[in-house]
Amino acid sequence: MRRPGLRLRVTAGFAAGALALSATMALVSYQITRQSLLAERERTTIRSATYDAAVVRAGLAGTRPDVREVLGSLDTGGNRRVVVQRSGTWYSRSADPGLTEAIPPALRERATAGNGIAVQRVRVDGRAALVVAVPLSESAVLYEIDSWQELERTLQLLTVVLIVVALCTALFGAGLGWYAARYVLRPLTRVADAAQEIAGGARQARLDPDAAPDLDRLTSSFNHMVDELSARMERDRRFAADVSHELRSPLQTLAAAASVLNRRRGQLDERTAVAAGLVVDEVDRFQGLVNDLIELARSDQAADRTPVDITELARQVCRAHGVDPALVNAAGGATTWCIDRRRIAQLLGNLLDNATAYGGGATAVHLRTAADRGIIEVDDEGPGVSPEDQPLIFDRFVRGRSATARANGAGTGLGLALVAQHAAAHHGTVVVQDRPGGGARFRVELGECLP
Amino acid sequence: MSAVLVIEDDDRIRLSLVLALEDEGYAAVGAASAEEGLSAQRTRPADTVLVDLMLPGIDGFECIRQLRRTDDVPVLVISARDDTSDIVAALEAGADDYVVKPVAIAELTARLRALRRRTRPPSSDEVPVLRLGDLEISAEAGEVRLHGAAVQLTRTEFQLLCELGGHAGRVLSRQQLLQRVWGYDGGDERLVDVHVGRLRQKIEDQPGTPERLVTVRGLGYKLQR
Repeated sequence: MRRPGLRLRVTAGFAAGALALSATMALVSYQITRQSLLAERERTTIRSATYDAAVVRAGLAGTRPDVREVLGSLDTGGNRRVVVQRSGTWYSRSADPGLTEAIPPALRERATAGNGIAVQRVRVDGRAALVVAVPLSESAVLYEIDSWQELERTLQLLTVVLIVVALCTALFGAGLGWYAARYVLRPLTRVADAAQEIAGGARQARLDPDAAPDLDRLTSSFNHMVDELSARMERDRRFAADVSHELRSPLQTLAAAASVLNRRRGQLDERTAVAAGLVVDEVDRFQGLVNDLIELARSDQAADRTPVDITELARQVCRAHGVDPALVNAAGGATTWCIDRRRIAQLLGNLLDNATAYGGGATAVHLRTAADRGIIEVDDEGPGVSPEDQPLIFDRFVRGRSATARANGAGTGLGLALVAQHAAAHHGTVVVQDRPGGGARFRVELGECLP
Repeated sequence: MSAVLVIEDDDRIRLSLVLALEDEGYAAVGAASAEEGLSAQRTRPADTVLVDLMLPGIDGFECIRQLRRTDDVPVLVISARDDTSDIVAALEAGADDYVVKPVAIAELTARLRALRRRTRPPSSDEVPVLRLGDLEISAEAGEVRLHGAAVQLTRTEFQLLCELGGHAGRVLSRQQLLQRVWGYDGGDERLVDVHVGRLRQKIEDQPGTPERLVTVRGLGYKLQR
């Protein structure tokens, strides 16, 4: 599996860090706020209950006091409810049957034990509340039940706010991480851009050493590498040009002198004539070899595309290579292709020569298009190419097993390598297949052929 | 017997070319430098000139330009350099055709014959005088007049203009022109492009925006009626 990119990882890391930090902060602040709010509220409730107890105690001090009336005189607000247990009887301001059950027995025991004020947190109808028990006399206890519903609601709101803040912080962290990663990666992006430019042929592209002082070493070694590379390419180019020039000049002399020899073969004695014939043939072959090598050395050149009538070109090439132009079969599709005329002419010529040398001659040349790809197929009626040889025959200096072709020294061994190179220059491919019905089929696909 | 002047600084190439061309029936004369070649052409004009591009002193390009000032002799470049820039520069200097070394003698003589064909007066079954606006092409007399004034064309340029004029108003593809003017079945289309450019310099009022000899994109060239 591919590892996630650096930018993604940095972004995720920043987000996780921010989330952890803000979540911890939120949790701590929630706890502190909750504790202090509850403690404060508890103190307030106890204070009110003590005050209420004083009022009730005073009210009960008289003879035959009406407990209900005394309770009615208390100002308890909306949250607090007061009940009094006096000599086993419960009194409350309103009919409130569930209320006495909310008071836990443990608290009742503690209250009647006479240890002063007792406090316990309870839940009434599923809501938080605080019960404060204040002993009024030996036989009477005042219970005050304070509902914490509002307080709970406040804490819930606080929880929501804190979660939202934590999420926002995490998002902000992610944004910061993304920006930081981009900022840190920017010099590397520049390196990648420069490398791409150089690969595209712009050999003068260099990195600015002042743009990223932190990447000094990378910048200087990159620039150094590019300098070396372009110097080397220039050396290679000049060497190839020199070699081709230096080979071509003496070959011209040889070609002209061989032609003189060839013309006068009749005047030579038999042995000399045979030798002269060998010289003439080999000069011819040598010439082909040098031309093919020079062509191969220019592998980096892009195709010089112009609109070409492919059918006409194929027929021309057939005529030039002694093949019947009627074999050309343009079976539909556009016949004007955007190709490098010279190179496709050589590609076709080499395939025809190959068919002649190894395949008993070409039997058909099919031309068609599929989407924007141009397809050329050259069929022959030879023995075909064995599966293990199929990927090899497009290598340099690889020749078929045809004994006659070898013995006659036909070809340079570079013909199919050039076919592959010309196809590649057109963003295309060449493969050899078995033709239905016997023989081989060389299939060339050329990319972006249609204007 | 047709006379060929071979301007080539490499002694062995020059000698072998002269020998081979003599065998093929040409009266070949060698010159080791552009200066020698130019003076030979002044004293004993050859029918065709074969010139190398890399020469000591005056180089091949300049040699062609100097030849062109006084002479419309067909010039065939023979060079070991096959860079597009060199080929186009040689054609722009005034060469009619080029071959890259090493060239087989059969190929060389085929090119020379094709060049020589253009030196013969055009056959008489063509329209004697063709008038296209201000442009007058007199195939018989080998003359071209623009606004009534004679225009100096090389033989290749003249032949190219005659072919286009014979099909005025119709498009001729580069391959058709190569076939009709240079006699090639499948050749380098830059030959046509550069010669059309040179022709425009002579017959267009504004060669940058041609009105008589126009390019039809993707198809070829057309001489307007």
